[in-house]
Amino acid sequence: MSLLSALLALRRDPRILRLPPYVSALCILIGVGWLLLLPLNEYSRQTYVSENAILPGQVHTYFGGSEHNIFRAYRHEVAGLAESSEEERVGKLGDIFRSSGLKVAAQKYEYTAAGRNTTGKNVYAILQGPRADATEAVVLIAAWRNMDGVLNQSGVALVLTLARYFKRWSVWSKDIIFLIPSDSTAGPQAWVDAYHSGHDPETIESLPLKSGALQAAVAVDYPAGPWGHRFDKLHIIYDGINGQLPNLDLFNTAVSIASGQMGIGCTIQRMWNHRDTYSERLQTMLRGMLSAGLGHATGPHSSFIPYHVDAITLQTVGDGWHDEMSLGRTVESLFRSLNNLLEHLHQSFFLYLLMHANRFVSIGTYLPSAMLVAVSFTIASIALWVQSGQPTEKATVGVWHSDEADAKEQDVTVVEQDGMTALISTAELKVVERHMLLPIAFVSAAHFLGLLPLYVFTRASATTLTTTFYAFATSTALLPALSAVALSRLFAPTSQQWALTACFSLLLLGLFLSALATLNFSLAILVGVLGSPLCLVPALITSTPSRTSVPSTSVAAGADTSSSHRTTSTGIGGSVANVTLYVLLLAASPPALLLAACHYWNANVGAVLAAAGTAWHVQGAWTGVVVCLVWWPAWFVAAVGVAAGGLGL
Amino acid sequence: MLVFLLLPLSLLLVSWAEASAASSVSDYHERLLLRPLPQSALLASFNFRSNASSSSFEQQNFRYFPRSLGQILQHAHTKELHLRFSLGRWDAENWGARPWGRAREGGTGVELWAWVEADTEEAANARWLTLTNALSGLFCASLNFIDSTRTIRPVMTFEPEGTHSNASMRNLHLLHGTLPHEVVCTENLTPFLKLLPCKGKAGISSLLDGHKLFDANWQTMAVDVKPVCPEDGTECILQIEQTVDMVLDIERSKRPRDNPMPRPIPTEDLVCDNSKPYHGGDSCFPLDRTSEMSWSLNKVFGRPLKGSCPLTTEDGRDSETVCINVPHEREVQERTAADLVKKEHEDGYLRCYKISPNLDFDLILPEQYLSSNLPLSHPSLHAFRSITGHGQERGGVRAILTNPSLTSPVRFVYLESLPWFMKPYLHTLRATISSSTAPLPDQYLEPQQAPNTADPIKQMYYRPAVDRHRGTHLELLLELPPASTLTLTYDFEKSLLRYTEYPPDANRGFDVAPAVIRLLSSSSSSSSSNGSSLLGASEYLRTTSLLLPLPTPDFSMPYNVIILTSTVMALAFGSIFNILVRRFVAADEAPGYGLVSLKGRIWALAQRLKARLRGKGAKDE
Repeated sequence: MSLLSALLALRRDPRILRLPPYVSALCILIGVGWLLLLPLNEYSRQTYVSENAILPGQVHTYFGGSEHNIFRAYRHEVAGLAESSEEERVGKLGDIFRSSGLKVAAQKYEYTAAGRNTTGKNVYAILQGPRADATEAVVLIAAWRNMDGVLNQSGVALVLTLARYFKRWSVWSKDIIFLIPSDSTAGPQAWVDAYHSGHDPETIESLPLKSGALQAAVAVDYPAGPWGHRFDKLHIIYDGINGQLPNLDLFNTAVSIASGQMGIGCTIQRMWNHRDTYSERLQTMLRGMLSAGLGHATGPHSSFIPYHVDAITLQTVGDGWHDEMSLGRTVESLFRSLNNLLEHLHQSFFLYLLMHANRFVSIGTYLPSAMLVAVSFTIASIALWVQSGQPTEKATVGVWHSDEADAKEQDVTVVEQDGMTALISTAELKVVERHMLLPIAFVSAAHFLGLLPLYVFTRASATTLTTTFYAFATSTALLPALSAVALSRLFAPTSQQWALTACFSLLLLGLFLSALATLNFSLAILVGVLGSPLCLVPALITSTPSRTSVPSTSVAAGADTSSSHRTTSTGIGGSVANVTLYVLLLAASPPALLLAACHYWNANVGAVLAAAGTAWHVQGAWTGVVVCLVWWPAWFVAAVGVAAGGLGL
Repeated sequence: MLVFLLLPLSLLLVSWAEASAASSVSDYHERLLLRPLPQSALLASFNFRSNASSSSFEQQNFRYFPRSLGQILQHAHTKELHLRFSLGRWDAENWGARPWGRAREGGTGVELWAWVEADTEEAANARWLTLTNALSGLFCASLNFIDSTRTIRPVMTFEPEGTHSNASMRNLHLLHGTLPHEVVCTENLTPFLKLLPCKGKAGISSLLDGHKLFDANWQTMAVDVKPVCPEDGTECILQIEQTVDMVLDIERSKRPRDNPMPRPIPTEDLVCDNSKPYHGGDSCFPLDRTSEMSWSLNKVFGRPLKGSCPLTTEDGRDSETVCINVPHEREVQERTAADLVKKEHEDGYLRCYKISPNLDFDLILPEQYLSSNLPLSHPSLHAFRSITGHGQERGGVRAILTNPSLTSPVRFVYLESLPWFMKPYLHTLRATISSSTAPLPDQYLEPQQAPNTADPIKQMYYRPAVDRHRGTHLELLLELPPASTLTLTYDFEKSLLRYTEYPPDANRGFDVAPAVIRLLSSSSSSSSSNGSSLLGASEYLRTTSLLLPLPTPDFSMPYNVIILTSTVMALAFGSIFNILVRRFVAADEAPGYGLVSLKGRIWALAQRLKARLRGKGAKDE
């Protein structure tokens, strides 16, 4: 009790009020530091196959021998189709499937995104499992063109050969669907949408043939020409749309079959030479987080994951001594394992970060870092709330005993309770009313304003995207200042209202980020770290003397009262500081960071935005939504606050 | 290619069964029909039929009729019984119409329907329960899981096959139950064979081997018991018909049992397309097989046919035990030590053999190039059903029914029996007809958008589900014009089950029974849609079963949740309680604070002690 009352007495301690920015900063630091700890052996775990039914690598694989001759012939056939029209290609591939005794169908699709039309035709065949009853199916995919637009010759040929080979087995207790989409993103998306009847029948054809519930999908990417290419490693791609991941068991099965049974090394996240050191683990993890944070499709498998179909892509990389038959046997063994499944993959983790093909951290270990980052915004917001309720008159904190009362010449009130009398400073008893209408309206308006860039960027055609982007960047730079002027002219907000505006904006940001962290951890921490300046900004804003009657007591939005005192004494200096802050904040604005990232990775802004627009339209990636409706509004509100401080409003 | 319909062929076996039903009072017949199908498949239909006169049955004098089953039927007062065990899918596109006029097959898993004699519905339910439990034991199947939630009373879909007098019909209750998730395997075959008089030791049943039967692409086992009363008023008989149909993959079945692996064939045995420019030492574009594959009974079934069952009728068409349905030019060699009688039927498309008991019999079909194919009759309706949508809350079912005929409409009854946790919204039931220009099965879903204004639903019977007590029962009488496709859709909601109601493999999903489609004979389609028009020969069709993913808890979660909630409760309760019962005052307002308080308290205690002592002393004084 005594401790509690001691704490309560601290409520008005100026030292406490100065603390939140430091706590926020500390949270961010710990959050980021936490991530750095994850690659350590003590924090990450060795992967393991959790589902007992899978039995990876327990079966003998027979794919080989004369199948190789057939594979080579099919590869020549595929090479012969490289230049032919879509119709001809689909017909020919369908004929090959049909000659293997499978049911074949095709599906046309058309997407319009970023002013471009994407059309194509998927061809797929269904092997009706002899022991299956059309309730479950697994998918084997080889996109005609891989993510880089290269013809996936050996991959397609391998799928054709495996289809013929699998047909002879009687062990299949699930249907196997062999899918050859025209490309690696739109085609699989159209197919899987139509499979679940979630497509737009105007532009995407319904599927004439269907099987049961999809259990898993495996895509093969092996773009070797008609004379083959021996590869070194398998690059396993596992990221889905919006950072969703396949069940870790599927990944582990693939790794354990490839490396354990076939002796093919596995690698992830383009880390071609992974020596399992700390820095490489960290790099792998960060690449994975970046990829998940961007939420884009990384392979033909990506589209399946939002439908709760676990999927991976096996991509061949490097020069080595493994040939197409090793890959074929890997796929065979993988399908035998999937065939063993009695239930949908559910045993293992769905939320994890991989840092090596054999090492991962699960959500329980890594989630606190994103939560800490999100909490930093909430702390800043709470601090602002408390400050906004502080009386503008500075009151001396403390309780006076009656005998000391006359020592001070202050405006005091006599309080009597329980037969005891106390003299309390009147300022302290004054209830400060918060004027919340304007802050709430402004913060909501800012968030609705975010719809504008979202709409523009998802509708604009690819050719105009670069121009649109620069226009947007310019307006992002100017709009806060203009808004600040307009706001002060129209509503003349008080410093308390500015503080409340920042408070609500940060509160929302913290709320969104902590909710997002459970859905897409990587995106949440990316936005959180990139937006971290926003939670420090209110503390740094220095207010020049304005309508507040007593300059020295203006606690505009700043907790850092010492700096406030220092700068307010020189009004011009405060303005300069605020302008600097505004410029710094501009550098941390979403468009500026996007530009910087594009510059760093040598990408064209227009192309990046076009890809984002396509991802939004085709795959339903909501990275753009988070940027436009969560991050940008928060930044905007903060920038308006800084501008208002800098302009001395 | 010879293209004409040979519909009588498929109905042949039915008519054979009907015609000979009344020929003798107590007899036994068996027949094996072999029909090679495209893509190196082979349909083998086994049929075993035995009769018992009703008087001998009543007196429990069983001869050919299996006693075990007979007693169960008597105990459960079951007058007619149909039991189906099925596995796999019939590929109507390649294999044509089904055997036995589709009347001898069931949906995936186990399906049972019976006419039970009882005065009231409750009594019928009780007897049905007895029947399912007894059959469960007899056939080693989980038939005891057919409880009230899986039992329906179909109204239009099923008609009794046997002859029941009008008086007895009044007390007969039709009950129907399905177990779509039941996996049919050898443990069901063994009791099935035991019901036969020759018990798999002789006759065509000696070919039935679990390894081959359950390696088939499609197989169904049926038991049908029905009373048959001759027209001439002689004594009624009770007929039991057991049927096993399977479609074997010849290539797969020929593999030796000790080495069933489909290893790649030796390179020199590959049949390659030499015309390809890249054809050479290491590339081989495989050619389709053009010749008929060579096979023999011995190789395909892995064991010889051990003569005929000595109990079969000696003469007449019933004595022809093995029949093979091949084009005229197909060479068939018979191998047996004894004489055999060979007869040709159906314009020579059907060759039947009367084989002698106790001597092995084998049919050998060598590899041969054929100029004509066996004419296969086309199915009169294609049905395809699937689940639409995704997610844990709602879904939809879409059934696509195509009438491939260019001339005749199809009338049929569509029966859905849904589990209670799948709650359909009947107001979302839509039946749209679109005429398809190309009635190919490949193009089910590409109909022209020419919706027919006439409502295809002629009659509807719907009995909504009651949670945990009964499932949804939906029967629709539909009419489909020629060359058109009917799309039937409805939405449903998924229920949340109780924690203990989930099966051990909850994450697999829940099986939804196949829809049963009864095709009504076209002759009745012109007449009005009253009950009497439904009578007549009807074909059956079943869709595949569906897998319904329900929201499934993480079963380790309750533990975590208990721990978490307990912690949260303890923390929240503790602090709220604390705040509620305590009074907060400023530190220095409190009487006696810190060390001072301790000192004060000791002082007070000492004072009190002192006072008491003094008080005592005062009293003493």
